[in-house]
Amino acid sequence: MKVKGCRELIEEVVDEGLCAYCGACAGSCPYLVSYKGRIVPLDNCTISEGQCFKYCPRTPIDLDAISQEVFGTVYSDDELGNAEEVLIARSTDAYIRERAQYGGTVTALLSLALEEGFIECAVLGKMSDEKIPCTFLARDKDQILQCAGTSYMACPILEALNQFPKESKERLGIVAMPCQVLALSKMKKDPPQNRVDIGNVKLVIGLFCTWALCHDTFHRFLRENFDLSQVIKFDIPPPPADRFDVYTISGRTSFPLEQIRKFIMTTCSYCLDMTAEFADISVGSAEGIEGWNTVIIRTKTGADLMQLAETKGILETQVLPDENLAHLKTAAIEKKKRALKNIVERTGGKEDFLYLGGLSEGVIDKLLEY
Amino acid sequence: MSSIAMNKPGTTVLLMGNEAVARGAIEAGIGVAAAYPGSPSSEVLPAIAGVAKEMNIHAEWSVNEKVATEVAAGASFAGIRSFVVMKQNGVNVAVDFIVNLNMTGIGEGGMVIFVADDPGGMTSSNEEDSRTITKWLDNPLLEPSSAQEAKEMTKWAYELSEAVNLLTFVRGVTRISYTKSNVVLGELPERREKKAYFPELWDMYNPKKSKFTSGPFPIYHKPLHEKLEKAREIFETSTFNRYRGPENPDVLVITCGACTSYCTEAVDELRAGDRVGVLKLGTTWPLPEKLVAKHLSTTKKVLFVEEMDPFVEQSVMELAASLLPTTCDLTFYGARSGHLTPYNEQSTNLVINALMDILGTTYQPRDLTYDREAKEAIKIVPNRPINMCPGCSHRATFWAVKKALQLDGRKGFLCGDIGCYSMGFAGPGFFQSRTMHAMGSGTGVANGLGNLKHFGFDQPVLAITGDSTFFHATMPALVNGVYNNSNFILLIVDNSATAMTGFQPHPGTGQLATGEQATVVDMEGLCRAIGAEVKVCDPFDLDNATATLLGMMQQDAGVRVIIMRHMCQLVKDKRKIPRKYKMHVDSEKCLADTCGCDMLCTRLFGCPGLMVDRETGKASIDEALCVGCGLCTDICPANAIIREEAIG
Repeated sequence: MKVKGCRELIEEVVDEGLCAYCGACAGSCPYLVSYKGRIVPLDNCTISEGQCFKYCPRTPIDLDAISQEVFGTVYSDDELGNAEEVLIARSTDAYIRERAQYGGTVTALLSLALEEGFIECAVLGKMSDEKIPCTFLARDKDQILQCAGTSYMACPILEALNQFPKESKERLGIVAMPCQVLALSKMKKDPPQNRVDIGNVKLVIGLFCTWALCHDTFHRFLRENFDLSQVIKFDIPPPPADRFDVYTISGRTSFPLEQIRKFIMTTCSYCLDMTAEFADISVGSAEGIEGWNTVIIRTKTGADLMQLAETKGILETQVLPDENLAHLKTAAIEKKKRALKNIVERTGGKEDFLYLGGLSEGVIDKLLEY
Repeated sequence: MSSIAMNKPGTTVLLMGNEAVARGAIEAGIGVAAAYPGSPSSEVLPAIAGVAKEMNIHAEWSVNEKVATEVAAGASFAGIRSFVVMKQNGVNVAVDFIVNLNMTGIGEGGMVIFVADDPGGMTSSNEEDSRTITKWLDNPLLEPSSAQEAKEMTKWAYELSEAVNLLTFVRGVTRISYTKSNVVLGELPERREKKAYFPELWDMYNPKKSKFTSGPFPIYHKPLHEKLEKAREIFETSTFNRYRGPENPDVLVITCGACTSYCTEAVDELRAGDRVGVLKLGTTWPLPEKLVAKHLSTTKKVLFVEEMDPFVEQSVMELAASLLPTTCDLTFYGARSGHLTPYNEQSTNLVINALMDILGTTYQPRDLTYDREAKEAIKIVPNRPINMCPGCSHRATFWAVKKALQLDGRKGFLCGDIGCYSMGFAGPGFFQSRTMHAMGSGTGVANGLGNLKHFGFDQPVLAITGDSTFFHATMPALVNGVYNNSNFILLIVDNSATAMTGFQPHPGTGQLATGEQATVVDMEGLCRAIGAEVKVCDPFDLDNATATLLGMMQQDAGVRVIIMRHMCQLVKDKRKIPRKYKMHVDSEKCLADTCGCDMLCTRLFGCPGLMVDRETGKASIDEALCVGCGLCTDICPANAIIREEAIG
């Protein structure tokens, strides 16, 4: 996997519309910063093999090697990746549930991890007053709650990780999108230099994601339709609603989902991963089961935390009904197939899968045959 | 007492060319001197201002060259000899007034303008030959060849000015202005308590127009040409025109100004004194035609040696054409023939080369190994690219501009201007200035760019101007922008001095040319009154300056002004303001050329106070140059540059 420099990152990823705005390249050097949905090069860095290029989730990646690092096994061709257990859960705290997007599982787990001293700080995304997702460091439950809910826009939280002082020993938890989890896994596989110890990251909670919206175009749409200071939250209710809801102080405004899809980031169409396959725990909505989250436990860290949450009565869990599991798997494999098809269309053949390396022929054939 | 005002005629003193010019004006008994600073002319006015009180002279830094010329004209109208000083660019600013002044003529007081040209553009934004202007303006022109002659000519220019009732030009060049040489002092005038009086008053019983209002123009233009003819007659016998050489030279060199020395040296080096004659002209416009015609008749070959435009060359060739057929045997060499260039400075070597070709001789000044050894020797001289001083506030401003433009991301750009911050076109300003022309032009150009919305133009436009430049020529452009609904941001980099030319005060500094206290013109209030939104930042608060600029850019409407206010470090030093920090680099923390830094401080930021330690490869502080401003601490990504409060 050839590592290149900052200039190539900009030319091959950012300028090509492949940037996922995860923040992995930013915040640890004076050359790259995130700003309103863009990764901005501030000046010419001449390092030929930069960490910016190295950890980008859209530069060449060896999925088998990453999988070996995180799970001790090769990349799984399972729809949901390496899943120890799949279930549904929700917070037992009504106050949390009321503020959360769905069942409040992420908030509950993070709060528990903080209270137990398992982590000392959570690296999160939060919507600013201008309705731009910004990174936020939460060190107590109230601060975590401030970050509940989604903006449907990418937030460069890994920039915040990169900005931690090199000498910091603070134990960190991160809530991340699949692309961000991928970048984090790259870091775990080959730890960064001149930055905070990646070993400080003790917990990675991944969020299900089918796509994220482009800041620029989505914001233009929002500004045309709303006074941003009045906007409270966004939601995509489960099918067959097929709509995008914007909640403001004065109530709900719905748009056909198709109208919003125009604002999806280009890079999302090349993303294989719906369920954040390299996280400790992955959490998403539970389609058809209102007020609950789907939870995929992937690592021992994840399993231990879930176990503790149940023991302490912080979360209540149930088995995910087979029908719902099958539906989840279909959605996940559909995303993979779509992505691979789009990649092949873009590169013009099976010789080049853009950033994807380490996919066995079996996996490729399986995905492409559909 | 300054030797400028020394009243000991006959004494020899060491003076810079510019000081000699000042002395000449003082010996002529000027009462008023006005100037706008600009190298290589900047030292003339301070030399006069330094003795202004004792010599009863009003000396002022005017806001620009046109106003300076008008100030001097006012004095002339009231019978007072007056003096105005500028560099070549300044003449362009003043010329609109001068062309009108020539129509009316000056007052009873003689009026002289000293213009310092800059061949090679060593301290200028352009290379321009101001002499050509005198031709189309119809003003007499003198060109001194030494500091001594600069003094004599300046003094004599007043007699000429009064004799022909015209503003008279004395044109120097960098090598005259900045040469220090022996000058024999002349007499100082008696201190006259002459009352200034404007004579052209309205007479209710005999109302008629004043002498100082021009027109009808055919009537006024004719006497102007007659005045010039009178000057030409005077020039025919001027001792500023001299000939050295044989009666019938093989080659007649016609030269003027600083080139005179190159020519006589070249002739001596070539031992060609018996074959080559040098006619040195001190009065170059209007051309003393009889004198020149007489010399043309003595030779068959003529070489012109002058700097920049072939000014004398063309005048003489024009004369030769009018003398045909007696001049038909003449061959002319110079800029037209390609023997010398009509740009850059001349030198003895260049004249030697030209003469060798014309004479068909060879010349070997030194042994052949010299050039090779010189090439070797030059390798030990460190490369010294242009840079801003350590602690310069402009570096901070350009850093903020660069970041704000990149973050904004709409392909915005900066229009540059004239001052220390001109270096924004190159490395010291991170190549941020994308246009650069005359004083105030950055803002004028921004006016035009900011009004192209209906052609789909959507790039943010920034302009930069210095505090002195703001008063000089930017103000009208700012008014224009507000009035015409343009869309740009003007950054005024207010460092409390006309720093580029040597810290002359200006209307915003509260100080006069003489050092006395002055009314401060409130730049901020002025911009607000013009109708622009104004914000003031300290560029050393980099984050705030960047955020303020970025915020202003994103308003994207109308004319906005951001004043980047931070005193010039050299002014701080002059005022003995103690240094703020003691700096050092924690080499443990310094990331040097590794990922995460890539030598940001020395490779890009480029303050001369920072250097790379040869042994460790890490950044370090050059204690001889660092002024302890502390700015580099804020740009170091590894927090390796440490600033500690300086003690005492």
